[in-house]
Amino acid sequence: MLNAFAVFAVAQKPKTFKTLVKPFLKQHCIDCHSDDTQEGDVSFEGIKGLNAENVGLWKRVWEQVALKEMPPRDELTQPELMERLHITKWITGELEREMRDKGKFQTHLHPTKGNHLDHDLLFGKLPKKLEPTSSPARIWRLHPQEHLTRLNALINQEPEFNPKQPGVRTRGDFIPPNQEGEVKVYYGLDRVIGWVGGTAAYAASITGFPPVLSTENHHGLQNYPVLYSVNGAEATQIASNAEDILRFMAYGPDAEDYQFADKTSEIDEKYKHESLRGLSQSLFYSKSPKRPMTPVYDLMNKPDSTDEDLQAAVDYLFEALTARPPTKEESVTYLGILKGAIADLGKEEGVILGLTPIFLDRDALFRSELAEYGTPDKFGRVMLQDEELALAVNAAFSYIQPDETLKQAMLEGRMKTRADVKREVTRILADDTIRKPRVLQFFREYFDYTRAGKICKDSSALKQAGGGFKNELTYYRTLFSMSANTDRLVELILEEDKDVLTELLTTDRVVIGGGQEADLFSEFVGPQKSPPKTEEDGPKKKKVVSSPLIKVVTLPKGERIYTRVAQVERGRGAQKTLTVLPADQRMGILTHPSWLVSHSDAMDNHAILRGRWIRERLLGDAVPDVPITVDAMLPDEPNTTLRHRMRVTRDSECWRCHQKMDPLGLPFEMYNHLGIYRKLELGEPVDTSGEIINSGDPALDGPVDDALDMISKLAKSERVKQVFVRHAFRYWMGRNETINDAPVLQDAYQAYTENDGSMNAMLASLLTSDAFIYRKVERE
Amino acid sequence: MINRRNMMQAVAAGFGAAVSSSMIPSSAQAATKPTGKPKRIIFFMQNQGFDPATCIPEGLDETVSLDGIKLPEPIEALEAHKDKINIISGLHGMHTSPSHSAYFGALGGYRGGIGIAPSASTIDHEISKVLPQTALPHLCVGMDAMENMTSRPTLATLSAKGAGQPLFMHSNPNHLYQMLFGGIATGDVKRRYEAKSKVFDQIELLAGQAGMSLPSRSSDRYGSYVDGFKDINGLRERLAGVSDTLKKFAPEYGEKFTNPEFETDWHDSILDVSIAALKSGLTNVLTIGSGRGEIFGSWKGLGVTEAGHNLGHVKQPENPIWIKIRQYNCRMLVKLIDELESMPEDGGTMMDNTLIVYTSNNADKQHTNGANWPFILLGNCSGHFKTGQFTQLDSRRPINDFYATLLHAVGAPCDRFNMDKNIAGKHDSKVGPIEELLA
Repeated sequence: MLNAFAVFAVAQKPKTFKTLVKPFLKQHCIDCHSDDTQEGDVSFEGIKGLNAENVGLWKRVWEQVALKEMPPRDELTQPELMERLHITKWITGELEREMRDKGKFQTHLHPTKGNHLDHDLLFGKLPKKLEPTSSPARIWRLHPQEHLTRLNALINQEPEFNPKQPGVRTRGDFIPPNQEGEVKVYYGLDRVIGWVGGTAAYAASITGFPPVLSTENHHGLQNYPVLYSVNGAEATQIASNAEDILRFMAYGPDAEDYQFADKTSEIDEKYKHESLRGLSQSLFYSKSPKRPMTPVYDLMNKPDSTDEDLQAAVDYLFEALTARPPTKEESVTYLGILKGAIADLGKEEGVILGLTPIFLDRDALFRSELAEYGTPDKFGRVMLQDEELALAVNAAFSYIQPDETLKQAMLEGRMKTRADVKREVTRILADDTIRKPRVLQFFREYFDYTRAGKICKDSSALKQAGGGFKNELTYYRTLFSMSANTDRLVELILEEDKDVLTELLTTDRVVIGGGQEADLFSEFVGPQKSPPKTEEDGPKKKKVVSSPLIKVVTLPKGERIYTRVAQVERGRGAQKTLTVLPADQRMGILTHPSWLVSHSDAMDNHAILRGRWIRERLLGDAVPDVPITVDAMLPDEPNTTLRHRMRVTRDSECWRCHQKMDPLGLPFEMYNHLGIYRKLELGEPVDTSGEIINSGDPALDGPVDDALDMISKLAKSERVKQVFVRHAFRYWMGRNETINDAPVLQDAYQAYTENDGSMNAMLASLLTSDAFIYRKVERE
Repeated sequence: MINRRNMMQAVAAGFGAAVSSSMIPSSAQAATKPTGKPKRIIFFMQNQGFDPATCIPEGLDETVSLDGIKLPEPIEALEAHKDKINIISGLHGMHTSPSHSAYFGALGGYRGGIGIAPSASTIDHEISKVLPQTALPHLCVGMDAMENMTSRPTLATLSAKGAGQPLFMHSNPNHLYQMLFGGIATGDVKRRYEAKSKVFDQIELLAGQAGMSLPSRSSDRYGSYVDGFKDINGLRERLAGVSDTLKKFAPEYGEKFTNPEFETDWHDSILDVSIAALKSGLTNVLTIGSGRGEIFGSWKGLGVTEAGHNLGHVKQPENPIWIKIRQYNCRMLVKLIDELESMPEDGGTMMDNTLIVYTSNNADKQHTNGANWPFILLGNCSGHFKTGQFTQLDSRRPINDFYATLLHAVGAPCDRFNMDKNIAGKHDSKVGPIEELLA
């Protein structure tokens, strides 16, 4: 990667510090950054290149030049975009070289740096001699949900998709969080017929396991292959879980004989003593097994098992965990380990230990896109084929094994061409029974609305904002539930597949449940001298408001809709209502509490985070990393508005970055930090004004009255839709775009717009592109 | 245990008190000059902040001996060991963004935050590379609410061996016991342990083969997967070599491990395993994360029904919940001291060559800018540190300087730790170790 220029243009000479960077510094930087001037304590005088001493400086230069922060915008002489690109490529290449043995530099590969490539380079006129694109040959660690879903499929029999109840959790859907926000797979839950105690005791007595693989906990896209591996602690946990899973596959719930019955009334009362509450012995199971009956079950329950039985268990498990059948060699290797373990420990324990290594096979934890076949073209690219291509297509949508049609295409040599990919992608997109959690996950990461239940709220701040929750647990539960509501709304809009982004940004629809979910769509009125008036909902019934600080906003009755709930909630779907919100208060999911709270903190709104979201995800721009010397804290001034406290960001050294965020986040001050609409703040009319500055689209720039005004402007912007396509590209390719990807992005955008804002059309375009199907290989 | 140095310190302390309590700390003065090489350092990080008012005796605002001064209620358990402690006020971590938690930045001395990968190695790990090498050079353990320890028995939030290389805390005492002492079992348990070892060796081999022809970037990441097995298997082999010693120090494996009533049973068990690891010489650097570097945690076993994040919203001074938690911490510290004092080493005891660093990953409170970050040091670490005093630092010194001081004491002097010239220009007033702390 040192000579990065060869990637985007054929036959271009390598550029060096002397031929490229030095003249650039001389022309654009040295006037203000010489030994005499040293603006910002930076001088480029005498600098001879990038070395261990000055990597910090060059990191800053990289961001400043890439994001057009430097030279200052009011300088008349500005470098051309291609010149900026050459400079930034040189810097990141040199940083990679210099840092290779010093902790490595790969910041530029992180999803949060995707926008460091200027939008106009991608969607403007294409440069001449652009080398065709590809993605690097690589292995891609499974998404934690993908890993968990595959393990779940080993021990739980999930229902098939029911078109009459879309939204209800079915086979292949992701594992949703329980009420407390924990994502877990449970053992034997579908077989439980009763238990001792209440729901808390029930939840405590059921055993399960959470995802073992981890992701970084940052905003935005998460799952780039370059970010993740599996560490030793995770491998140990996988091995430990594997033993439990295998035991369950073989024997079912780990329970005493008395715990199995046709009805709980058959169970002796002495086993229902309340002292057993919350213990695993307090669960009662149906006598008939419900888990998948697999060759592992056959092996363990057959007194005289043969080599064929062992082989069947190995092969079954391998395919279930890696999504492909084992090769002959793999099959023999794992059979050997299994036999060795049986020889050491006997069958009962040996099978459990001997099958565990399959859970730790490389391909059970990483999906490979290595393209170790064929001859590279003149650009060093090889097209993915057969298993790798089929599994890449499958993973673009699904967390579980390929469906039968795709599997047959894979096994019969019909996954080799772009036409093969198109055929399968089109088929899968049209088939609702094939669940597509990966598509929903894109919107969860792009919008970041699922963090709400994890934002800790200060108890008094919660009360003062009108959250009349009985306790904090109710608050968190409500917010987790509301994220599930937003999931469903996203899915509804995806089903319609028309102007998808515009709809998400501007829809008046909402999925809403009972309890206190409605409170959060109310209006904050603040402390009142007399109790606030509540609007009547029908002639007799009055809606009860759980906090005296809010006034209920009555919503139309709406229609029934289902959202996913965790398996442990003893249901596969929760009934909710699809209705509409008042147009003068809400517009699209950025104005729903799930998104607003996800972008808030313990005490208040987080206008900076909200503004940053708009800047990055809609405008395709970025904010450089906070300089390490900055004490980034707002003053602690109780009883003042956030806008007032944010005055400190207007200091000149801060404002250059904060002008990119604050004026885009402050319009959301029309909601408080629970996402409740308000006209007043601290008794005064709330200031919701803001401004779009340097958006890259002059038609967008200018003041905005409030969030609704801003969103309606942004939703009409061509640039905003293009930025949406850029994010989809990143998500499905697992990497940041380069200039070589410009044709792919332009095609995907064209597919999207020409098909009336169809996500499916955009996806079909992306997944048949060179970026998706070609891999650049390193061959000797 | 009374030994020669204890006695000398006791005599010296008595003399100081008789002359003047505001004199330069007497026991510090009397502390023997460095007598040997430090052997171990323990870091104890309590989450949610460490309010100075809960550890600095009332009215103290300048460096002074602790002779004759009563320790505040939350840390009164340390009263009997007052001659061994140094309460430090005046360090700061404003550059670490410690509000809610500085995460890796607390021990790294750099900007941290939720979900932010470590940007460099942390001090505990750096020290583990300098101290005499052991089978497990650095052990990290974490204490948390029971459900968190069960559902996520390993978590990395505090320690790192380099940029982007977090180190995991172990939080399930059963797993930890198995890992360290599983090899000393006999009969069926041993047979299982050996069979498992064999299978893990095979997994390492297979994993290694599957990574042989990967492209460069994938190879790096996959390499860390294979390294994980190498670590697990390597540790097992090293432990096998010292199994006789391990047998001697293995903690009692009982109900507290297997059937805990409260999470504090597991906290105690984790401490017991950790102490055994220190006493048996398995490890020389121990990092304890109480609350595991995050903003949660639970102490129901102490009668504290409130849990998690809200604990950080209450003011700590005079708060009964925080008094209980801090007292519990201090009982653990005393246990560490007592256990290490019970072990002879180089003519004295293990504690003579040990330093315990007690602080928070969250500076002084949950919502903080890190302007004051209190520490308590316990032990003089082979005579390298002053003890028996309260130290008020007057110059502006970041926590990085304290970490540089630790490196100085363990024989790896450096001017600054994880702080370049530019940042130091704003946050540091001096270069090198903090002389006020060194004997």
